[in-house]
Amino acid sequence: MAPSIAPRRLRPALRAVTATAAAALVLSACTGGSGAAGAGDTSGNQLLTIPREDLATFTRNFNPLSPQAAPMTLQAVYEPLAVHSMADAKDTPWLATKWEQAKDGKSLTFTLRDGVKWSDGQALTADDVVYTFELQKKVLGGFDYLDKVTAVDAHTVKFSFNKAFSTAFYEISGHYILPKHIWSKVKDPAKFTNPNPVGTGPYTKIEKFQSQSYELRKNPDYWQPDKQQIAGIQMLAFSGNDSANVAFTNGEVDWTQSFIPDIEKSFVAKDKKHNHYWFPATGAMINWQLNTTKAPFNDPAARKALSMAVDRDQITKVAMNGYAEPADCTGLAHTYDKWRDTSLAASCTWTKYDTDAAAKALDAAGYKESGGKRKLKNGKDFTLDISVGSASSDWISVANIIKQDLAKVGITATVKTPDWSAVSSSYNTGTFDTGIVWSNNGATPYEYYRGVMSTKMVQPVGKQATEDYHRFGDKKADKLIDAFAAATDERTQREQTNGLQELYNKDAPVVPLFTGPEWGAYTDARFTGWPTEENPYATLGNRNGSTILVLTSLKPVKS
Amino acid sequence: MRLILRNLGFYLLAFWASLTLNFVLPRFMPGDPVSRMFAQAQGTMQPDQIAQLRKLFGLDHRPLWEQYLSYIKSVFTGDLGISITRFPTPVTDVIGSQIGWTLLLGGVALVIAAVLGNLLGIVAAWRRGGVLDSAFPPLLIFVGSFPYFWLAMGALYLFGVSLGWFPMRHAYDVGLTPGFNGEFLSNVATHLVLPALTIVLVSIGGWMLGMRNTMIATAAEDYITMAEAKGLSPSRIMFRYAARNALLPSVTNFGMALGFVVGGALLTEVVFAYPGIGYQLLMAVQGLDYPLMQGIFLTITAAVLIANFLVDLVYVRLDPRVRVR
Repeated sequence: MAPSIAPRRLRPALRAVTATAAAALVLSACTGGSGAAGAGDTSGNQLLTIPREDLATFTRNFNPLSPQAAPMTLQAVYEPLAVHSMADAKDTPWLATKWEQAKDGKSLTFTLRDGVKWSDGQALTADDVVYTFELQKKVLGGFDYLDKVTAVDAHTVKFSFNKAFSTAFYEISGHYILPKHIWSKVKDPAKFTNPNPVGTGPYTKIEKFQSQSYELRKNPDYWQPDKQQIAGIQMLAFSGNDSANVAFTNGEVDWTQSFIPDIEKSFVAKDKKHNHYWFPATGAMINWQLNTTKAPFNDPAARKALSMAVDRDQITKVAMNGYAEPADCTGLAHTYDKWRDTSLAASCTWTKYDTDAAAKALDAAGYKESGGKRKLKNGKDFTLDISVGSASSDWISVANIIKQDLAKVGITATVKTPDWSAVSSSYNTGTFDTGIVWSNNGATPYEYYRGVMSTKMVQPVGKQATEDYHRFGDKKADKLIDAFAAATDERTQREQTNGLQELYNKDAPVVPLFTGPEWGAYTDARFTGWPTEENPYATLGNRNGSTILVLTSLKPVKS
Repeated sequence: MRLILRNLGFYLLAFWASLTLNFVLPRFMPGDPVSRMFAQAQGTMQPDQIAQLRKLFGLDHRPLWEQYLSYIKSVFTGDLGISITRFPTPVTDVIGSQIGWTLLLGGVALVIAAVLGNLLGIVAAWRRGGVLDSAFPPLLIFVGSFPYFWLAMGALYLFGVSLGWFPMRHAYDVGLTPGFNGEFLSNVATHLVLPALTIVLVSIGGWMLGMRNTMIATAAEDYITMAEAKGLSPSRIMFRYAARNALLPSVTNFGMALGFVVGGALLTEVVFAYPGIGYQLLMAVQGLDYPLMQGIFLTITAAVLIANFLVDLVYVRLDPRVRVR
């Protein structure tokens, strides 16, 4: 039974408690709310504020050799010899003013810029460049083709290769350069956290470093002081897209590359005058990769028929929000438009969506339909798995659209979405069926074709592969790929690329789907001079090689 | 004393078991940190860097039992290795720099929810059928059953974006130097309001209902009727006689919850960009950062066990029946 006596004495006490609580709420409300400190600051000294949606806290580690270096280490602190922009495919001379390739393709010589100083006042010399590459090879490896780096004189560096390898230019010219006088004194460069970096970049001074924010201020000795228009950069840590996007749509940060759903409505519409975005198709080709060690994926006719069953327009419109460009039968992403064999691209058959043609092609290749179900040559049902990492919601939609398309030709697909680590391990060891996979993204088509067609990249099932997960190789492709790397003139390279496109069209090593877009959005309320579709000097990504071009082009708005 | 010693033995056994689980479980996950990193870089990393990165991180290829022995040894020497997702920061530094915020947020939210929830439960049970009793439990259960993410985003939008009453992210304002002064502490407090409020909102219903139900059972006991007959004041009966006895299950719950505070409130940290262990654990799992994963699991395990041990001690004090076993 319930006690019926009402505790009257308690009432005033309760009332007092609620009153205090309410007062406390109001009080704290008055002191709080200073969240939007950066918004609307147009004093001319405003900081360029950039969010990181993938780092909840920062570590004071400005060591470019570390895979977990703090943001902007490679964008604002250290600089490369030349800057390649994926947006306009141009190379801008940077720490080097010019370069020359040897006729035999076996060496590359850079001339360093005069008057470049490190942020501690010392001059940049050829020794720094030589030391950087030695250190890189020692600590992180790579550059197998690099035989020797020599300082010809204080301003000239020669890179000698052990084979003709002209595409090395992009790897070498885009590599950051470290000061020898600092790093040669570091005991264990791999584990050095480099808390107060000395670099040649425009913003090298670290200030107010805290676990969730820090500032980069001007390098007093920068070699192009007229391009240091902004007072500094402020980095903010967020633990996910949502919290970062709230800050962005609220106008508290200037520049983001995190994915914003329905960006027209959620961002641009809030301030049509200042809020902009640009998603150029400069990313890697996203492929539907079929494991060619398994039947029926080892049959090019089957691969082509499957490709025909896929509606790329729907994939780019629905799954990718209309931000991606459908692929054609050259497999080349839009980054490589200038290399595309347009006559071949115009005559594509197997990348055109046509359910009837796909069904006919499957019939012709020996995969007949019976009772509404497509059969393999051994009489079993034609079924397949599509694996995608659970974190990639856009790619999961892509896989689901493929699944629906395949059902129309009688093939049952299962979309499997475990964690990315499980998916990528099945790619590495070659145990997967099919999957949605990124491709290599270099300055030329060389990296792409090597990754999907070279026999040298093919590992047996069970052994770790780092490219060519689908394990397809063609000796004819090897020849063309090697000839491309050895060629020093664009005409020869173009011939090899044409050959590769033809082979690709014949073999269909993978099913190309669409060119990945590079996300990027900004508000020009506080800074102007952003790259745009009309002025594509860089992409709007703030973590790639062309970011330095944006940092040295922006101007603060002064009121 | 013998009871405590016997308990201690059990706790040590449990600790060893969980240590072993901590060691085994991450190793059952497919893939390894470097190929994981490579997959995330999606085409921007050079394939030949992989072998070097493996070397750099010192990934183990020794037999499992050797790894296990050195793991047990390192646990007792306090060396938890170097984090991979935040290379080259030692695991102890990663945990040490964030656990304070986790404890602050989780602790404050837990204490408020437990105290308020229990008080509400006591009062609701005492005045059964009253306004408080009929309106609050369904309301709180309703609020608590919202997906947390949705509730937190809603609160963030309403109080942060639209009304601008509270800061929307981080543990304190950007640019402020941490220190024990009024300005910093009040700044921390205002940053705590929204995240703590949302946790309290979703958890308070459970506390209230639990307390209300045991309280109702206790209020039906003969000694309560006896106390009423003696003419004691209602509030004295309610708190000293009924609530004190009804509180026992709540003490157990509090101890359990206290232990789990260390694990951090993952979703809260994600929505409010609050620094803490929860999000770090998520990153560690996603990046297959074994050392950090193990370090955090170890901290959580230790905290849960210690909290339980303390509850056991308190229980012995509160409930004489436990002593005679």
